[in-house]
Amino acid sequence: MQEYQKVIARLERLARDRGLSFDPVFFRLTDSDEIAEVASMGLPNRFVHWLWGGAYKELSIQQAKEVFSILELVLNTSPSYAFLRHTNTYLQNVLVIAHVYGHVDFFRNNHWYRKSNKNMLNEAELHARIIRAYEAKYGREKVEELLNQMLTVATSVNAFERNPAERHKRLIYYLEEKFWESLRRRLQEALGLTDAELDQLALTEDVMDRLPADAAELVLKTHLLRMIREEAEYFDIIQRTHIINEGWATFVEAELLREILSTREWATISVQLSNRPAPYTIGYTLFKHIRDARGFDEVLRVRRDYDDIRLVDAVLTEEMVQRLDLFVYDPKEKSKSYDLHQVKDMLIAQKLYKGEPHIEVEPGDGGELVLRHHEEDKKLDPKRIERFLRAVRGLWGPNVRLWANGKCYPQPPAA
Amino acid sequence: MAAARRAYDGMRIRRGRIAQSKHDHLLREYIKNNLNDLIQQKELIVDGRVKTQIATLDLPTLKYGEEVPVLAQGQGGQGGGKGAGKGGQDAGGEMQMLGGILGGDHHGRELRVELDFDEFVRLAQEVLIGQMELPAFHEPVGQGEVESEDIAELDDLDRIGLRADLNLEETMLHSLRRNARERGVLDFDVDIQQDAWYFVEDPSSFENHRSVEIYVLDISGSMRGEYLSLVRKTIFVLWYYLEQRYPTNLRKYVVFQDVAEEKSRDEFFSVESSGGTHISAGFEKAMELLEGVTEYDKFLFLFTDGETSSSDFDLAKRRYEEALERFDLVCYGHVNPGGRSVGGFSEHVQEAARRHPSATFANLTDLESVKGAMAEFLNFFKERAGRRPCRSIRR
Ligand SMILES: [Zn+2]
Repeated sequence: MQEYQKVIARLERLARDRGLSFDPVFFRLTDSDEIAEVASMGLPNRFVHWLWGGAYKELSIQQAKEVFSILELVLNTSPSYAFLRHTNTYLQNVLVIAHVYGHVDFFRNNHWYRKSNKNMLNEAELHARIIRAYEAKYGREKVEELLNQMLTVATSVNAFERNPAERHKRLIYYLEEKFWESLRRRLQEALGLTDAELDQLALTEDVMDRLPADAAELVLKTHLLRMIREEAEYFDIIQRTHIINEGWATFVEAELLREILSTREWATISVQLSNRPAPYTIGYTLFKHIRDARGFDEVLRVRRDYDDIRLVDAVLTEEMVQRLDLFVYDPKEKSKSYDLHQVKDMLIAQKLYKGEPHIEVEPGDGGELVLRHHEEDKKLDPKRIERFLRAVRGLWGPNVRLWANGKCYPQPPAA
Repeated sequence: MAAARRAYDGMRIRRGRIAQSKHDHLLREYIKNNLNDLIQQKELIVDGRVKTQIATLDLPTLKYGEEVPVLAQGQGGQGGGKGAGKGGQDAGGEMQMLGGILGGDHHGRELRVELDFDEFVRLAQEVLIGQMELPAFHEPVGQGEVESEDIAELDDLDRIGLRADLNLEETMLHSLRRNARERGVLDFDVDIQQDAWYFVEDPSSFENHRSVEIYVLDISGSMRGEYLSLVRKTIFVLWYYLEQRYPTNLRKYVVFQDVAEEKSRDEFFSVESSGGTHISAGFEKAMELLEGVTEYDKFLFLFTDGETSSSDFDLAKRRYEEALERFDLVCYGHVNPGGRSVGGFSEHVQEAARRHPSATFANLTDLESVKGAMAEFLNFFKERAGRRPCRSIRR
């Protein structure tokens, strides 16, 4: 790590000179394996799930193949932690360090990030411990099945949504609320607690032990779902600011490196910068445009106030769509459209629901859960519907319906 | 620094690996449950990997159907950053679907099941060996209690019953005979206590054993799913036994219709059917590939529906006879998923193989028949073992 201290100090100074600010950053030199591990789990020490195992496998294969990897990893915590691959060359790690300063500045200053849970690293570890305890108590299979089901509905979180009525339409919040209502009733009956006491109540071991045995399942579900939702919200913020965050980090990386690299090195790097995955290049292009059109102060303002949707909506132009070669592809017609509005709408829709179909909970009576897909013109893959409904039933109970593809799943019994 | 690193690594809980083993456990279950569908894919290997159409090792989140318009980026926009291709299926042309990528996290991402071909083969073998109730090899030597200084004592080895020294052919045949005798069924229900035979010879006599295996596939007929499935299953099970026997397996692949062509492994497992049938061409190419091969045991495995064109019949017969001379063993698989009676050129081979010690014929109709074919194949080793100075001792 010693060899990097000088360049770290220099890059940090350059970043601050430009008006960036951040919490202390700890860089850690590590191997591809740990990088693949943290990148696939999202947070180190998070509970172990097979889903991360698949991502980990892919990443380790990819990391092993690539001599050169700039997969950068920064945790949104205070202080921030960032990882450098020790098999990278010095220059490659310098790239990563410069990029990291973009991210940590974003974590500290972006409006949406300020609401994020900087303690998630520790909370995730606590969650993992609780989950292990539940596994010991209720059996690993039972807990894993519930986790599968909950992770399935967890894509419906929206950490930016503050309106309770809107949140209520999203499946995971709806379920959490209903679970909690039922549990509250049981707690009231069993322990005679007041509403105020209930609001303060933490789901600790001794509370649970005072509940009648048949409430155990409800406690398990409520508690697991709450933890899954909290973690999902942490990742949701990352997703909803993916373009702006990566674009900003790449922009900062370029700004800082230009200062310290030779012309020749800079030329190589700038080719490499335009060769990155889409969120990086889209965001990077947008920031460069803002700098050129409106100056550096405006750049700082945008990184502070915007999220992906607003950035795309406010900055993307016809010309950039062409240059980035972004288009809406219609597989039926095999046609491409570079129309600015279409591309923008599609990008925004994708950010709103993270590329997932827009499903809402319909108001209904207590026993039944009715879901509706809200873009009637878009067909859902019918093969997945049954599996999805099975997962939701595992949480809710047998009475679950989904309106999609112009019909009701499952078909209601003929009257 | 290095020492500190090691100490840290030693303590680290490898959560990634634990998660992966959970994932792989589910993956095995999935492969096992879907082996038939997977093995029948026309393009079994793409870029050295087996891809699956059925997405299942993901969470059952809802997804759009295939016909819904998507946001995409052409290659002019960027170089398609590494690991970015997860967004969706190939839409033809140089473009990349951006759906999953813009999400940025693994939640809800399409995790298509995809694995190394070698890994797939290993899993398939495990399933097939199980389904056919063939004896499986366990961990190779060097595991557990048999690893001791006394290993030179061959009698001890014999007594311990080291699995790697199991004379599989002899054991299987013995089991077959015993089951026929005792239960009236032709079954490899190996009872190790009763049936096991072991090699007790000096293992160094094996060390120069290498095999050249030439796989010849008739692609003229309709390459229906079952056809491919039978061929591939047979090959995978063959590999299982051949790899145990030979430290080196030199494999060559040929496909033929009117003409024959050598193919790479990946091409061999991703073929389209076409053309008429000249079985003679398949034999010719196989023999051509033997040029310069000397110190190997030479195997030819040919898979066909036997319907060679009538003009080719006599030539094919001659080439077959020649191949029998050139190869140590010529295994002819009549691929017959419909289970019809054997006709055409296959009928000829079926007759000829009975008379010839280095020929086997298998009517591949179902998994059960693959099992029969394996018995015949393994019988070759048994007979040859008889011709060689290696001693098999009945326990
Ligand atoms: Zn980044």
